[in-house]
Amino acid sequence: MISPAPLRLGLIERVRRSEFTLRQQLREETQPSLLFSSFKMAYHSPYRGAPHINAPPDQGFLWNIFQRVDKDRSGVISDSELQQALSNGTWTPFNPVTVRSIISMFDRENKGGVNFNEFAGVWKYITDWQNIFRTYDRDNSGFIDKNELKQALTGFGYRLSDQFYMTLIEKFDRQRKGQVAFDDFIQCCIVLQRLTDVFRRYDTDQDGWIQVSYEQYLSMVFNIV
Amino acid sequence: MAYPGYGAGPGGAPGMQQDPLYGYFSAVAGHDGQISADELQRCLTQSGISGSYQPFSLDTCRLMINMLDRDMSGTMGFVEFKELWQALNGWKNTFASFDRDHSGMVEGHELQQAISSMGYNLSQQAMNCIMKRYSLNGRIPFDEFVACCVRLRALTDQFRRRDTSHNGSATFQYDDFIQVTMSI
Repeated sequence: MISPAPLRLGLIERVRRSEFTLRQQLREETQPSLLFSSFKMAYHSPYRGAPHINAPPDQGFLWNIFQRVDKDRSGVISDSELQQALSNGTWTPFNPVTVRSIISMFDRENKGGVNFNEFAGVWKYITDWQNIFRTYDRDNSGFIDKNELKQALTGFGYRLSDQFYMTLIEKFDRQRKGQVAFDDFIQCCIVLQRLTDVFRRYDTDQDGWIQVSYEQYLSMVFNIV
Repeated sequence: MAYPGYGAGPGGAPGMQQDPLYGYFSAVAGHDGQISADELQRCLTQSGISGSYQPFSLDTCRLMINMLDRDMSGTMGFVEFKELWQALNGWKNTFASFDRDHSGMVEGHELQQAISSMGYNLSQQAMNCIMKRYSLNGRIPFDEFVACCVRLRALTDQFRRRDTSHNGSATFQYDDFIQVTMSI
């Protein structure tokens, strides 16, 4: 079995050299949550709305990547093209549900893919997640185990019971390893974020409590999980 | 309401040994008298409860465990298993009554009727959410139907527990909301 060293979590291998210089800049930031300005944190997180501090990547660099990923040269990166370009460190295909979530997050025209302008957002989003993942994967195993997940989510401001982390891993771990790979980790955080968003919508006085009817509750939940 | 299954340790409830269901259960349960999601899957497949329908997926089995998992152990004891068995039979009969052509699938609008027939009085909007979530090209396979029923039952349970004045509205604190909803 080939050991995955160094771990390829992000986009294709050939651009790693350029990636490296960018990572140097990003590494200036020691707080991963500050890096991740577009990520809406847990409800009581102190990092809500952190300012964007990093310079955007070089356009030529991004265009290079875009062209490589857009295999059929349609000018739009589809779900399957993005999926093929992403690595979750396990040599199995990147979680298609996560790919769909990411594309729909940045696809402003509902066309089922992202154009070059939108792709800049996708690239940053994935790079941010790579950095967060690497930060919390303290033993560098390429997976986030229960304790590392606990540290990550607590770092994001969630206050969850110890037992609940087992539930999360069971729910999201597609590799059946009892730990989450890069794509499943993102998926877990996306769902937590969606739940937080829907909660916020109902918590009009922002006190961390909501009162909902049975109907509302069902709609809230069935839309997300 | 009492919580059946909670605290039924080794030895369990009286008369258990003679129960035919106990045969299926004990074949997969360990010394602790509890089964996990994959053991439940094996158990249900062996019992043939799905009949001519596809056996339950592991995800659906996980949902079933969570539905009855009051001590949040991630496993199920025999008394809980019996409760599940009864529920499954009920859902299977409901499904079969709508799957008239025995295709193993029901149509979207039939799902709506099936859910109403089980006593859930949902708005069109809630129904639309559910249909969107579970149907594959407008049709719902048996396994997904059961997953939907399990969720409805678990959600209703969780909601009732927080509707302390029994007036149809429940209060949720954020951390609780996250954990409850994710477990379902």
